[in-house]
Amino acid sequence: MRFLSLALLATTGISFAGDELAAETCLRTKVWDSYAEGYGVRTMTSTTLAQGATRNYLVTLYKGNEYQIRTCGDDLVKNLDVYLYDLDGKVIAQDATVDREPGFGYKPTTTGTFYIVVHARELTDATKEAGVAMAVTYK
Amino acid sequence: MFAPLVLAAFIACTGETPVTPPEETPPVVTPEATPPAPPPFDPSATASENIALVPSVVETQSALEAAGITTKLADLIADRAFDVNNENKDNIAVRSGVVIADMLLTVKTSPKDKQLEQLEKIKVGLTKLDGGPDIQTTVTDIQERVRNDAVSKEDLLKELDELSGAVIPELEFNGQQRVVPLIQAGSWLEGANLVAKAVKAQAKPDAADALLKQPAVVDYFIKYVKNEGQDKAPAAVTQKLEESLNTLKGIAEKKEPLTLADIDTVIKVTDDVLALL
Repeated sequence: MRFLSLALLATTGISFAGDELAAETCLRTKVWDSYAEGYGVRTMTSTTLAQGATRNYLVTLYKGNEYQIRTCGDDLVKNLDVYLYDLDGKVIAQDATVDREPGFGYKPTTTGTFYIVVHARELTDATKEAGVAMAVTYK
Repeated sequence: MFAPLVLAAFIACTGETPVTPPEETPPVVTPEATPPAPPPFDPSATASENIALVPSVVETQSALEAAGITTKLADLIADRAFDVNNENKDNIAVRSGVVIADMLLTVKTSPKDKQLEQLEKIKVGLTKLDGGPDIQTTVTDIQERVRNDAVSKEDLLKELDELSGAVIPELEFNGQQRVVPLIQAGSWLEGANLVAKAVKAQAKPDAADALLKQPAVVDYFIKYVKNEGQDKAPAAVTQKLEESLNTLKGIAEKKEPLTLADIDTVIKVTDDVLALL
């Protein structure tokens, strides 16, 4: 799990697992594009997931702000899903696509803590792990 | 993303008209006719990561405006002469977090000298915390561009936003797990202090309900502050931080709307920590 800026990478030559780097590069483009729409970044992170595996992130969302949950999977990902759960485990929002770059927007009605769950639902090769990156942006 | 640069260099060198490259195929996106069942998820039994948990101060400013508070947090920042060359790493981490928060809030309006001073403190602080040479290189690069007027204030805010939200939380700090939470605690504490002062200035304590009631965030900080080694006494700042966080937890868990007395308490307990830095 890591997210280092591409500028940092360019100057240091840090080695990355190729799949995570691909996911991060894809996501970073989305995040930088979102700046033009007035969004700032809460966090960007990445990991690797096997088919069917999930990664959970606690997140505090403010009433009054608009949020975008954005993700990218590498070429190994056939269908990546992302969910927002409340603290009771109820699904509040989810993506509605079969692809490797799902996301959705959410505007909370109260300030609270939620879970973002990223799910590698289907990979093209179930014996491998895919690189997956997730970002939370706000405005 | 880098292809146009390579292309431009090629034209400059040869003068030949390049062949138009094929357009990239966009990723296939298929709407799901019927969304599949979500994966099994039990919040009480599932481990979660905290990297996205703590809101940034810029995000807090945005929520404050949405709550009807027009006071700018940047206008309330106290002038502090933090020295990040402290012997105690907890102290350095919290100080660095405060400096990062202040810079994020003021970067669009502060003069170049102030920005360079803040960047130097961030760099020295992160270096003392064993952030590693890569982060030094990154901050030095930002400093150079600020010094040479080679970065706009808007882009500088983006880079700091990314530094604070994405880069620093992923640094390993030589295995010191407390460092990132304590940097975040410094930023969050400064934000809470400024929010409380802004709300008080407009006498709208209820507006702070949506901003200061974050028990999960406070619990996260308390967990790390309490992890001080058993064999040594905690630093004064760590001890005061824990006391303040426990008070803030009580306020965050209140069922009733916050009152002006609660706001005064938030200001006092956060000021108490900031005064020790």
